[in-house]
Amino acid sequence: MSKPKVATVWLEACAGCHMSFLDIDERIVDLLDKVELTSCPITDIKEIPKVTVGVISGALGNDEEVHIARDIREKCDILIAWGDCAVMGGINAMRNFMKPEEALEVGYKDTLSTVNPDGVIPGEDLPKLLPMAIPIDDEVKVDVYIPGCPPDADTILYVFQEILEGRIPTVPVDMMRYD
Amino acid sequence: MSQITLTIDGKICNGSAGQTILEVARANDIYIPTLCYLEGLSPIGACRMCVVEVEGNAKLLTSCTTPANDGMVVHTATDKLKAYRKEILELMFAGRNHFCMFCSQSGDCELQRLAIEHEMDSVRYPFLYAPFHNDTSKETIQMDHNRCILCLRCIRVCSEKVGAHTLDLEKRGWNTNVVADLGQLLGQSESCVDCGACAQVCPTGAITIRDFVYRGRRNDCDDVVESVCPLCSMGCKIKAYVRTGSVTRVEGTETSSPDGGQLCFKGRWELPKSTERDRVAVPMIREGSSFREASWDEALDLVASKIKGAAKDKVGALVSDLSSNEDLSSYAALFRYGLGLGKYDVFNGDVSRGFLKGMEPVAMQKVRPFTAAHNILESDVIMTVGADPQEEAPVVASYVRVGAIKNGASIINVSGDGAPFPGVTDSDLRVDESDMESFLGGFCAMVADVKSGKDIDTSELADRFDLDAASVCEAVKLLAGAKKPVFVVGKKAAKFPKAVTAVTNVAIVSGGTFDDGLAVVPLMTSGNSLGALHAMLGQESWLGEGDLDVLFVSSTGLVDEDPETLDAMAKSRFTVAHTPFMVHPLVNMADVILPAQAWFEVGGHYCSLEGESRKAEVIVKPGDERIGVDEVVSGLADRLGVTLDRSCSVGPCESVFLSDVAPDKAKTVEL
Ligand code: SF4
Ligand code: SF4
Ligand code: SF4
Ligand code: SF4
Ligand code: FES
Repeated sequence: MSKPKVATVWLEACAGCHMSFLDIDERIVDLLDKVELTSCPITDIKEIPKVTVGVISGALGNDEEVHIARDIREKCDILIAWGDCAVMGGINAMRNFMKPEEALEVGYKDTLSTVNPDGVIPGEDLPKLLPMAIPIDDEVKVDVYIPGCPPDADTILYVFQEILEGRIPTVPVDMMRYD
Repeated sequence: MSQITLTIDGKICNGSAGQTILEVARANDIYIPTLCYLEGLSPIGACRMCVVEVEGNAKLLTSCTTPANDGMVVHTATDKLKAYRKEILELMFAGRNHFCMFCSQSGDCELQRLAIEHEMDSVRYPFLYAPFHNDTSKETIQMDHNRCILCLRCIRVCSEKVGAHTLDLEKRGWNTNVVADLGQLLGQSESCVDCGACAQVCPTGAITIRDFVYRGRRNDCDDVVESVCPLCSMGCKIKAYVRTGSVTRVEGTETSSPDGGQLCFKGRWELPKSTERDRVAVPMIREGSSFREASWDEALDLVASKIKGAAKDKVGALVSDLSSNEDLSSYAALFRYGLGLGKYDVFNGDVSRGFLKGMEPVAMQKVRPFTAAHNILESDVIMTVGADPQEEAPVVASYVRVGAIKNGASIINVSGDGAPFPGVTDSDLRVDESDMESFLGGFCAMVADVKSGKDIDTSELADRFDLDAASVCEAVKLLAGAKKPVFVVGKKAAKFPKAVTAVTNVAIVSGGTFDDGLAVVPLMTSGNSLGALHAMLGQESWLGEGDLDVLFVSSTGLVDEDPETLDAMAKSRFTVAHTPFMVHPLVNMADVILPAQAWFEVGGHYCSLEGESRKAEVIVKPGDERIGVDEVVSGLADRLGVTLDRSCSVGPCESVFLSDVAPDKAKTVEL
């Protein structure tokens, strides 16, 4: 039997979830013996192939992210939401208390650390913001949730191992955390 | 009370009629998750976490509010219940803005813990993202409405235990919010007494103590030690959280106790803060205008030589009555009995002496002249006499307020400068404390008259003290009609011992007694004023009566020294300050500074206003340089050739609490 394929995408989030993936350290070698990592931020393959396991880190905040989420959902059998942003919206949801236009104003003009003398808000080059940043399962079906900001490396590994054993896991209580 | 038996999760459980299902389950070691419930507060069934299935009943019932009945068959952990509870948790997360990843309470939050326990790995409902206010207007605590689950624990503790009733709800449904003073910011509230009880009981990150967010969550702490707050005579029980050797937070203990596990503004904030102050690390000896470090030997040699060289009546010892019985006994063994000094005393000795002398005539009848402070809660008429409870012993003030809310107790105030509970005082009689004895004498006679059915005329008494006759008459009648009157006597009144005696007379005449003693609550000043009564309280005040050759001052550094003490220190030829902290101006006056253990490093017993001997535990072990009072005293005794007789200064609590005669047998005293 050929090795199951895994693809991961990094949507509206920091790099924390993927860093946590790397934090499984040398155990990643064993894992890579058993699965084939296809497109991911490390391999930088742009086209998501057909895979067994798809992973999303990050929430949905704009058109493009929704498109990618739908794409990976179509290409995979089991979809995992990695981390609080993907599971609950996470830190991105802080903008949900204002309109998207306001969020752009704040982000590009109003923060103390911003230097933008012409007050330009990039428009055309940016995908259109959704009215709110939303968790993945507001848009596509998710099979496995791994909360945590970021999720622990051990939890990530545990979930892969369970899937390799043919089970659709839920994160056990003693491994679960939200921060 | 009749016994009942129910079956919970297949286990036969005994309980008594009147208990709720939750109470029976807990008493039988069966776990049911709860959020809004808190032992000691009235159950309200608001969160629905505690639902159970009862056979024969189609509905899910909240176990915290459903009475247990004989023969009930209850299930607490079915799949249906788990799914239901999980759904409730998800709704709580979706309804407000719970994002634990950036919540300061994460890891220490009861809501989060329950969500994890219920395997909530995601929220199936769309988050509402309704904007809620974050109220940072108050210096000590902050309120982030985004995290509130409307369990109303804060509201209940504030009204049921603190009696401040600052908090309440505004609006309905999803928009319901906890507000202070019907719509003020917390920082602007006039009713809030800054006790922090609301933050202590809040199960989420909605009300948090600002300091503690950075000093460490409960879960970050290495140790929790139960001890006693030494700051006032209430001696509230505390839980001290220790992190890397320092006290990071202090909380009250059992919410089921009469005080509801509250602390006051002093205990809650000052105790943890004190751990940050500069310590006296090693003994120091004055050299000109500055100090140099010295060894213990050198410092004790010097102190001993000064005491030896002075006439006995020129040596004084002034000791803090925030000290434990054990420490007070040690000082007494040396200064009072070993050296036989006449000039020994505790701080605020005048207040304690006032109470002691004033209560002595009743105590001589072998009646215990006072009662445990929490009995105020059972009272229907509370008379405050020269007292400011909120300042002197704040939890006593809570008892008074709660008594007024709970029993509709009437409050009568007699004092020189107005009512300590404005707005809820029924009768406010302005009588200067120096006139109190004579006023209460007349007052007492009238209470007796009303009780025996005689008509009274209050105009003469009212005229004499420039009061309104009708108000005096009303107060007399209130007291004469009281079922369980109680008298809270403050330090202003205690300055006049006869005024204290006059209060005990009023208590006797109006039938003010409790099982443990006469219905008088003396607001002693410090954590162990009661304990100090028989150990180190001097016969008479001697401070300021002529200059001393040597003055030994032991301070806990927690309370500022009064001007009189400082003045005496300044005038003394040689002054020793035994103190844990570099407190000014105390140390400026000293010729020798001896490092002392701080409150959190000393164990021992305290006699509390609750009528108990309470044990303070060592919260943080002191370093080697910080030897205990006992060792300092022994060191001095050796050098002075004094043999310490420890038997003469044993456990003062018992003798204070002596009572052989039932309080209702007490007889009034001639003034
Ligand atoms: S209050 Fe508790 S559940 Fe809510 S965000 Fe904070 S830690 Fe999470
Ligand atoms: S600090 Fe005390 S008085 Fe103030 S709102 Fe909280 S519980 Fe009430
Ligand atoms: S502030 Fe805290 S204690 Fe008060 S209702 Fe909200 S969650 Fe409950
Ligand atoms: S009431 Fe007194 S003993 Fe209680 S916390 Fe306040 S100061 Fe400490
Ligand atoms: S604990 Fe019973 S309803 Fe909240």
